[in-house]
Amino acid sequence: MNNRIKELRARFNLSQLELAQQVGVRRETIVFLEKGKYNPSLKLAYDISRVFNQPIEEIFLFEN
Amino acid sequence: MLEINNHFKRRKHEKTIIIFIVAALVLISLIVWAVNAQLSGNIQEILMVAGVLIVVGFAIFRGWVRVRSSQRKEPVEDELSKGVMTKASSLSYYISIYLWLFLMYISDKTKMEKDTLIGAGILGMAIIFFLSWIGIKLIGLKNE
Repeated sequence: MNNRIKELRARFNLSQLELAQQVGVRRETIVFLEKGKYNPSLKLAYDISRVFNQPIEEIFLFEN
Repeated sequence: MLEINNHFKRRKHEKTIIIFIVAALVLISLIVWAVNAQLSGNIQEILMVAGVLIVVGFAIFRGWVRVRSSQRKEPVEDELSKGVMTKASSLSYYISIYLWLFLMYISDKTKMEKDTLIGAGILGMAIIFFLSWIGIKLIGLKNE
């Protein structure tokens, strides 16, 4: 699964720490998400989509 | 609700303090043992001291990460850190079974004392957990 967190974070001018604080996780979790080393829980994916005001499927891209 | 939140925050701080206290106790025990045992410096003693230092270093590092997260006003634990700990625990438990089997085999073939074997097993389990934790951190936790 790929994601557009890094791109959206840059567009919204948010640092990793700021995004982490807004969704209630550690900065390291955002680093792992951006590197594609971690797939978030549904709750975290939902929280991130609310921060960026975009649907989950436009942030997290599933590959077959 | 605020009271429940404060309770959880207090418990997380307690956990951090316990990590530092246990690490300090292990370190003090190691120093006392090293002073009293009049070490000869053989490979077995060096491996044991190195193993204990790795485990204590890991505990102090984990404690320091928790303190740093607290200072940054981040949660000290989140879904990733809990997931890594859970996977590292299960993986190290699985590998430790083979360690104990190996130690049982060794105990039949050599004349090592039972205390030494049990100590090696416990220390080995701690080191296996440390290595599993590092491995999962490097590879990631994709849950796929």
